[in-house]
Amino acid sequence: MTQFSPNALCFGEEFPASGAPCVVQIERHGLTITFESGSGDRAQEMVPFAVFAVTAGGLDHDHLVLKWGEAQRARTLYLKNPDLIRAFREAAPDHLSQPFEQAAERVRQVRHRHRVMWGAVGGSIVAVALGLWFGSDLLVEMAVSRIPVEWEQKLGEAAYRDFLSHQEVMKEGPAVNAVEEMTQRLADQIPNSPYKFQVTVVKSDVVNAFALPGGYVVVFTGLMKKADSGEEVAGVLGHELNHVLQRHGLERIVKSMGVMAVVAIIVGDQQGLIGLMRQVGVELLTLKFDRAQETEADLTGLQLVYRAKIDPSGMITFFQKLSEKDEGRLEWLSTHPVSSARAERLKAELAALPKHSSEPFTFEWKTVQDALGVQPVAAP
Amino acid sequence: MRSEILYPGAFPMVRVELASGEHIKAESGAMVGSSPTVDVESKMEGGFLGALSRKLLTGEKFFFQTLRASRGDGEVLLAPTVPGEIVILELDGVNEYMVQKDGFLAGADSIVIESKMQSLSRGLLGGEGFFILKIGGKGTLVLNSFGAIHKIELKPDQEYIVDNSHLVAWSATTSYNIEKAASGWVASFTSGEGLVCRFRGPGVVYIQSRNPGSFGAWIRQFIPVSE
Ligand SMILES: [Zn+2]
Repeated sequence: MTQFSPNALCFGEEFPASGAPCVVQIERHGLTITFESGSGDRAQEMVPFAVFAVTAGGLDHDHLVLKWGEAQRARTLYLKNPDLIRAFREAAPDHLSQPFEQAAERVRQVRHRHRVMWGAVGGSIVAVALGLWFGSDLLVEMAVSRIPVEWEQKLGEAAYRDFLSHQEVMKEGPAVNAVEEMTQRLADQIPNSPYKFQVTVVKSDVVNAFALPGGYVVVFTGLMKKADSGEEVAGVLGHELNHVLQRHGLERIVKSMGVMAVVAIIVGDQQGLIGLMRQVGVELLTLKFDRAQETEADLTGLQLVYRAKIDPSGMITFFQKLSEKDEGRLEWLSTHPVSSARAERLKAELAALPKHSSEPFTFEWKTVQDALGVQPVAAP
Repeated sequence: MRSEILYPGAFPMVRVELASGEHIKAESGAMVGSSPTVDVESKMEGGFLGALSRKLLTGEKFFFQTLRASRGDGEVLLAPTVPGEIVILELDGVNEYMVQKDGFLAGADSIVIESKMQSLSRGLLGGEGFFILKIGGKGTLVLNSFGAIHKIELKPDQEYIVDNSHLVAWSATTSYNIEKAASGWVASFTSGEGLVCRFRGPGVVYIQSRNPGSFGAWIRQFIPVSE
């Protein structure tokens, strides 16, 4: 006996409310519907095209709904599979294709109504927005500049807490001290910063680090193990801190929320905006920053590292290391496509800066790595 | 996988028996205990950022865990965070359910979970977020609720109105409209409150007997505010 693999649901008086799974086959003159009972017995029913009433239904109006029969014998069949629907459409006689088209039309109408409704809401908003329209980036920048840092912090903090509550956080030890020292050195070079940077070291082999809006930074121990010096990690931190300082996360959020957000910001609908940001906005953190933002974070990151008198060559060597792709799992790459061009650009930028001597960190990188359990690599 | 609800009622737990090599998906943090043969893989489905987005967008816990009986047969015990009932559904490959927020507890590896974006109006007005989980495929699905789970069975074209914060899951064959229960449109636009869903059958709607939002608000009044 062949396996029973249902492709449709049949509803009716004697069937369960969730529908009876059945196999629908399209024949020349109608449908063959096969049911299987709990004991494995199969019952077949042939229903001619002539009796069907056709509509669209289901949550997204993407099910083809066929109705037939009266009263106790009334049946409703839900087809979802696109191939099956197509086959039905091809086989069904003309008198059904008309209601079929009507059903399709109704689907379009529903969608259209939704669109019109949001169009109307959006339209009035767009009218406001258009007045400000000198180019989308300018609009985004304007909107972003109106978002108070406290909102940004609220948003970032919520995400940060949620994230950390599921992670093994490293609370103390040489690695934490080292990261705190780096962050302090960098933050000291950002006078009047509205952000108080919080950096957490998370125990994980993931080679990654990220910054959430509002100044919440996470460094994974995997990244610290991969680095050959504190300066390399500081380079990544310099880059991530600049994503925060340049409000790249917010820019992405506002861009994706689009007009709705811009209007909410302009009319000062705080509650609505926070709701929107929580729901739509943070999806943006899942997207890559765009290339311009990455370049900006690279260059401003390099300058920050330089001002903090941290040897900037660490940042460059780390980027180079990451661009050697055969190094296994390097998650930073998935959010940061590292090309050798990127390292080259930093080199050129560094060459343009006046030479000055850098000051080492107070920690020994080897101590940090030993504490993380990095095995010393045997000399080749 | 064979599953069984222990202590049915407000504080239930699920025991899932796994044959050697079998694995299930579970909400992270749902595991209470397991045989030593079971390994936990905190796989971040869709990568870190995918997991982050799922958390933030659906309110779903950060990661699904994969629980695998890698060293022989074994069992796991799973429990939800909030007091409330557990229901086990057998998905047959054609029935699909929309599951909201914290409704997912565990499922066979063969079930398919996708985050689905709702239409703008439903997302904005429904208060349940823009993203819900769409769960299909074939196999066992374990849902949990806040309070008791009540099943509403709808015949074709039969309608039923539910407060949207009480929704747990509903069949994809149902359709629904969001309607405002009272008050002005603008208020509901921002707060998502006072809204109801008018469901239309056929299909099944699972609702929970308690409203997490109202419960939170009620608790909050007893928590001293420190500013
Ligand atoms: Zn970056």
